[in-house]
Amino acid sequence: MLYEQELKTFVDATTNFFSVAAQEPASIGSPYLMEGAPSVHEYTGIISISGKREGVVYFTAPKAMLTVMLMKMQENDFSHETMRDLVGEVANTISGNARRDFSREFVISVPSVLSGEKPDVPQHAGRRSFIIPINWRSHSAKLVVSLS
Amino acid sequence: MMVAATERRRQVLMAGLGTALILVMGTVLFFGFRLATQMRTSISALQTASTLQTYPETIAQQLNSLRDRLEVRAYSGQALSELQTSVKHVDTNLRQLEATGDADGPQLNRARLLWRQYQPVLDPVVSFTGQPYVDSDTAGSSLSSEGRRHYAEVKRAQLFANENARPLQTHLAALATALQHTSSDAAARLRTLLLAGVFAALVLAVAAGYFQLTRARHERAAREAQDQTRYILKSVREGFFLLDADHRIGSVWSEALSHMFSRNDFAGLSFEDLLKDLVPTATLTTAAKYVKLLWGQRAHENLMKSINPLGQLEITRDNGHGSKETRYLQFDFHRVMAAEGIKHVLCSVSDITASVLLARELQDSQDNANAQLDMMLGMMHVDPLQLTSFLDTTETSIKLVNTILREPARNDAEFRKKLAGLFRELHSIKGEASALNLSSVASRVHVMEDMVSECKKRPELSGNDFLPLVLKLDELLAHLRSVREMAARLSVLKDGAPTPPAAAGAAGGPARAAGALDELSPTLQSMAARLAQDHHKQFRLSVAGLADVPAPYATTIKDCLIQMLRNAAVHGIEAPDVRRNLAKQDAGAVNVEFRKTPGGYELVFEDDGAGITPQNLKAAAVRKRLVTEEAAQRMDTRAAMALIFAPGFSTQEGVSMDAGRGVGMDVVARSVANLGGKIGVSTHPGKFTRFRVVLPGVDADSAAVA
Repeated sequence: MLYEQELKTFVDATTNFFSVAAQEPASIGSPYLMEGAPSVHEYTGIISISGKREGVVYFTAPKAMLTVMLMKMQENDFSHETMRDLVGEVANTISGNARRDFSREFVISVPSVLSGEKPDVPQHAGRRSFIIPINWRSHSAKLVVSLS
Repeated sequence: MMVAATERRRQVLMAGLGTALILVMGTVLFFGFRLATQMRTSISALQTASTLQTYPETIAQQLNSLRDRLEVRAYSGQALSELQTSVKHVDTNLRQLEATGDADGPQLNRARLLWRQYQPVLDPVVSFTGQPYVDSDTAGSSLSSEGRRHYAEVKRAQLFANENARPLQTHLAALATALQHTSSDAAARLRTLLLAGVFAALVLAVAAGYFQLTRARHERAAREAQDQTRYILKSVREGFFLLDADHRIGSVWSEALSHMFSRNDFAGLSFEDLLKDLVPTATLTTAAKYVKLLWGQRAHENLMKSINPLGQLEITRDNGHGSKETRYLQFDFHRVMAAEGIKHVLCSVSDITASVLLARELQDSQDNANAQLDMMLGMMHVDPLQLTSFLDTTETSIKLVNTILREPARNDAEFRKKLAGLFRELHSIKGEASALNLSSVASRVHVMEDMVSECKKRPELSGNDFLPLVLKLDELLAHLRSVREMAARLSVLKDGAPTPPAAAGAAGGPARAAGALDELSPTLQSMAARLAQDHHKQFRLSVAGLADVPAPYATTIKDCLIQMLRNAAVHGIEAPDVRRNLAKQDAGAVNVEFRKTPGGYELVFEDDGAGITPQNLKAAAVRKRLVTEEAAQRMDTRAAMALIFAPGFSTQEGVSMDAGRGVGMDVVARSVANLGGKIGVSTHPGKFTRFRVVLPGVDADSAAVA
């Protein structure tokens, strides 16, 4: 069973990234549960967790949102690689905060990035995921926490 | 404390030694000075006496010379002058010796007496001032009359001097010897004194050296002890410090404190200041009072220990990485006693976070095991089909809850819109769980209802407010899965038959339109028994006609009956002693009847309890701020009775599992209205309350009995 503090660590890490990097805070939408693999956007930054908790946490965002973020960050390069780097950076921030807040009972992997419409997101069969919409400006991304 | 006493004793000893050294030196110097002075006087007197020894002989020779000159008529003035000088010297020196205390003895007295005998003889001689000769041309120089007289006196003095010169010389020599002895004695005493002084100084120096060595040894031991104390305070995992009478921390503390409190400025810090940013004000006040009590001389330490309010203190602190963490600290207090009473309070602080969390996990595990046991025992009394129906319905409701949550929301209004629907669904799940006596499910849903209530009170809602609710929803789903698994095992145990297939999670199988209402009667009986026990009431429930409920009405009729039964148990039926005073039977009566009518169907629910008074309804509505006081006063009886069906209305002050939220009857009324039916209430205060639900007829296809 996931604890509120654990969930908040992931959520805060994501929203803080927007405040710091994109200089405009993000808000979270109405969270909900989902059985099976949730749909993902074009770019997904993912970390795997093992130890006390097992599963994955990922941030998935549409290309349009990432483009506006890069513009806010004064970037001129909107290439595929830059988009991948950006979601990787969000996943890295989530990973860093998790390492900071959780004890050594959590083993957190190096972030990886997936892209495309149907990327092969590692998903444990029958596991429920917490879906937390991340709203920024008019765009919406998703933070997916799928841990047991 | 012992170290301080030893140090004080050593300081006193060193001061004593210093004083003794000063006294010895002072004595030596004082008496040495006196002896030296005495010696100088004696030596001076000795010199005078030695000089005087020559004068008796000198005076005798001078008198001889003077007589010879007078006899040959030679010039006598020079001889007389020398005699006068000698006599004067003897007089002066004898007076000086008299003035010297050391010479004043029998020898001087004898010499002085003898010299006094000289004086009558010598005085006429030395005092002669005349012309001893007369000159004539014929006779030459001859003695004048004065000269003759003077010659006779000189002759007499010469004879006396010749006779007494030696005795006087002897007396003066004896005096010189005596003075020499006196001087030698003084020198010997001075030597002895100096030797004694040197010896005493040596003894004192040795003593001072010894004490200095001892002191150095003690200081070394004290330094070692201090080092050891420092090592202990550096290594020990507990936080230690001393509190003085002003409740301030002393200058020595263990390093563990720095880690526990993330600060280093403990010296002089008050105990209240140490805790003020870490604990709530009430805890801080209690802790301050407790520490004050510790200084009471008559307070019993074991008793004080038993009322320690800081036995397990939860604090929130910076974890050093920019975020907060919760730790649990245990404070222990021990009074440090001295002869004059309580000197300090020793405070030890332990970080018991690990053990608290372990105990909590154990307790959770125990609670979980107990809950599972309770759940299993409760489930044993539930019909398997009813249970399956409940699980299916509940999972459908949860799916609905999740669907409500999934609706995108970005602002307060959109978030707030979800609350009513969430409430309705959760309340419905709780009602059915209570009816089946599945308290583990009901209590979980009750907590979720609390969360939704809290959300309602917040001025601005965001997605963050819904995170705890989603976590609880996940927990509820997990619990329902374990209920289903347990039901399967029970079913195997009961009859060895396989259980109906288990639906998985929120995406489980479709909900059945309604439970089997012919099986609702025992469920209601079971719920009635639990409600009577929980609310300390007694009542009999009689149910009739539920087998005739058509399928489309099954869910609504079930929800109605559950809600009405709760209301009757909580608000309607009086406690047995109250009923006795009202001349009623101890056990109340609740009657339920469902029947077909010419125009459709009718459900009548009646209890013989306290009834409902419009005044109570109005007062409760004002209390819940559903209407203003003025509006309540203007309401007639009909409008007041309609309050029963208003959202958020309840006459109950607090919230319990069975009443108080005011989300029951409005849901019932809405469900009935959705079916095209009506609900009405009639009551007589002190006599009864009757709810009547009228539903339209249904067509033949859907009229199949549920």
